[in-house]
Amino acid sequence: MRRLSLALCAVLAVGACSTKAGDSGSSGSDASGVKTDVGVTSSEIVLGVMTDMSGPFKNLSIGITHGNQLWVNDINAAGGVCGRKLRLEVVDHGYKADTAKTLYPQLEPKILGMVQLVGSPITAALKGNIQADKVTTTPASWSSELLDNPYIMVVGTTYDVEMIDGMAYLQEQGMVKDGDTVGHIYIDGEYGANGLRGSRYYAQKHNLQLKEVKITSTDTDLTNIVTGLRGQGVKSIMLTTTPSQTGSVMAANKALGLNVPVLGNNPTYDPVLLKSPAANALDKLYVVASSVPYSADIPKEQQVAAKYKAAGFPEPPNAGTPYGYAVAEVWGTVLKKACDNKDLTRDGVLAALQQTTSADTGDLVAALDFSKPGAPATRQVYVAQADASVEGGVKYVKPLFEAPDAKDYQAPHQK
Amino acid sequence: MSSAVMDKPVAAVTAPKRLRWLRILAWLVLLVVLLALPLYLDASWLKAGEYAMVGAVGAIGLTLLVGQAGQLSLAHAFFLLAGGTAYCVLAGPTKDERVLGFGLDPLLSLVLAVAFTALLGLAFAPVSGRLRGIYLGVASLSLVFLGLYFGQSASTLTGGTSTGREPAAFELFGFPFDNTGPRIEILGVPFRQAEKSWYLFLALTIIALVLAWGAVKGRIGRSWRAVRDNEASAAVMGVNVARAKAGAFAISSAYAGLAGVMTVLWYDILKPDESEYGTYGINVSIAYLAMVIIGGLGSVGGALVGALIVNGLPQVLALYSTQAGLFTQSGEGAFTPVLVSIFIYGAAIILVVLFEPGGLAAIGRRITGFSRKNPGKEGPR
Repeated sequence: MRRLSLALCAVLAVGACSTKAGDSGSSGSDASGVKTDVGVTSSEIVLGVMTDMSGPFKNLSIGITHGNQLWVNDINAAGGVCGRKLRLEVVDHGYKADTAKTLYPQLEPKILGMVQLVGSPITAALKGNIQADKVTTTPASWSSELLDNPYIMVVGTTYDVEMIDGMAYLQEQGMVKDGDTVGHIYIDGEYGANGLRGSRYYAQKHNLQLKEVKITSTDTDLTNIVTGLRGQGVKSIMLTTTPSQTGSVMAANKALGLNVPVLGNNPTYDPVLLKSPAANALDKLYVVASSVPYSADIPKEQQVAAKYKAAGFPEPPNAGTPYGYAVAEVWGTVLKKACDNKDLTRDGVLAALQQTTSADTGDLVAALDFSKPGAPATRQVYVAQADASVEGGVKYVKPLFEAPDAKDYQAPHQK
Repeated sequence: MSSAVMDKPVAAVTAPKRLRWLRILAWLVLLVVLLALPLYLDASWLKAGEYAMVGAVGAIGLTLLVGQAGQLSLAHAFFLLAGGTAYCVLAGPTKDERVLGFGLDPLLSLVLAVAFTALLGLAFAPVSGRLRGIYLGVASLSLVFLGLYFGQSASTLTGGTSTGREPAAFELFGFPFDNTGPRIEILGVPFRQAEKSWYLFLALTIIALVLAWGAVKGRIGRSWRAVRDNEASAAVMGVNVARAKAGAFAISSAYAGLAGVMTVLWYDILKPDESEYGTYGINVSIAYLAMVIIGGLGSVGGALVGALIVNGLPQVLALYSTQAGLFTQSGEGAFTPVLVSIFIYGAAIILVVLFEPGGLAAIGRRITGFSRKNPGKEGPR
């Protein structure tokens, strides 16, 4: 019993001296009258990156992170924003929602906002925290379902709008007409469900018979599904799948003699497919996207590619890099606006974001308008086709455009 | 289950009095330290600790089943999902048009969710009673795939894979465990969600622990061990084998159900998996099995340590290395904290199986010298 009371005394004694009390961040305004709170000092603005450097999406995620970093280097070389240098605070969650959930409270007090948040399960788990802590965040996901949270900033066209624009393109080219039967193969989850929302909308508008096929992200051989769609007499197939699944569909499309045009969301295509067995079957694939692939034939992207080479990163480049650069550039626009408003607080960033009506990334991503909460920031897409002869593996068959149906489309959280 | 043949004096009584006091004292000191931690640790470390507690509750349930009752189960992740879903549905708001909710009191919902998973476990009795060993393991694995399908298709219950659904915040007699409610400060430390849920999770873990100790030391535990060691001789001694087996599975499932409720509260979201690999996937079932093996099959205390290693270590390592700037490389072949922790827990399993099949519990018993005085009390099968 004595020992117990001794131990208790010891614990109480320790308890009395130093708890973690009183370490909340300081806030106020600096000499030039710019208000600041979290993640901003008189010399520095810190932005967070929660990425996957060790899990299944590390290639793309590292590409995006390098893109972010290239932009930070550029802006710092040009003097920074608001007289402050920018710095990235990068953490790796390995695509594990539990790790991300633990790392977030450690990262959050250090940053003004997040330029990158990879992973749909992770974004879902952190969505509430982001809103409660007012951390403006760019997820590496383009689902319009995320837009009910005002602090989520989706850079690019959402999957549903991509689909609508893409189907409008197929119809404009005469590959699909009103009343046709079309198929849509989609992965169950945030990504696929959002793509499907778009195709359902378009099908309903144009009286198309939509044959929906739900798969999981781990399915590899889709031959039987394509066979089934052939039996139903589809005139075209929509895809919201992984690149390897796209390869399987394209190979089956050719091998079964179906040979219909196939339309895919941005993430369905990866230039790696050009080295896969399906390489010769990709001629019917049309990809819709609002951001450009690596080495695209756009002056700005050529610059980014040159910078990437000069920076000497060990990893081979991919489409993540121009996207990461473009996202960071949009962040630059928002931060400059917040600085002009003399408010670099988290509230100030949100206010500046909602005033941003034409963020320009030199065509890396279509021009963005964040002023309408709940609505996608852009409804424009490129249409591209696989082409092994071009560096980057993609050629553009239609420049940025917005279909009338996409314009009228009501996104799920649009007011 | 009626005979008292096996009612031999229990270890704790025969152990020297001093040792027993020391042991109780050690647990008390640990409890005091755990109670004081929220005053010192930052929210992220508390979050990591809470995740270890989620693992501890689930692992205790599994160690009872695998270690004490001798039934291999890979279905733990399914019962996690079932418990979490039951809580969300029962406590969820009634007027949400997207998902079903009954608007019950969160505490009542938690209890009902645990009862519901126990019934689910009982419903599996026809299978768990007939199969044993690896066959039962594979059969129970089917439940995980059932859970995957159910999570995706029953979107009015689970919220669907696309967005999931938010669980109702836990409340105890009107006291909220999130950031709403009056601002509380203790010794100058503001008590917010992380601090409050620490005490909630700690209380749940202690309840789970005490109940498990009671079961292991009591008649139920003896009947489980009898069935595990030899069904025929257990039956001869008057143990109802079918009932003991079904009961073990139901109780283990109830523990998993509680861990499931804790999981959704910890994540602040119930989001069914998009593929086999996720929060309620086969990887989670295997992680729980790893906790039990590392801790020592059948040892309740060992399950706690196993949970600390498997669930807690990756979190702590990630936090520590970010703080200290370790493992910051990226790209192919980079050593990241997530990778390092996977190696550590993989190595722990191999080392345990190779050198100490009784797990950490056996090492602990050897150190304290209990094993000589009390052979086979909680020992490996």
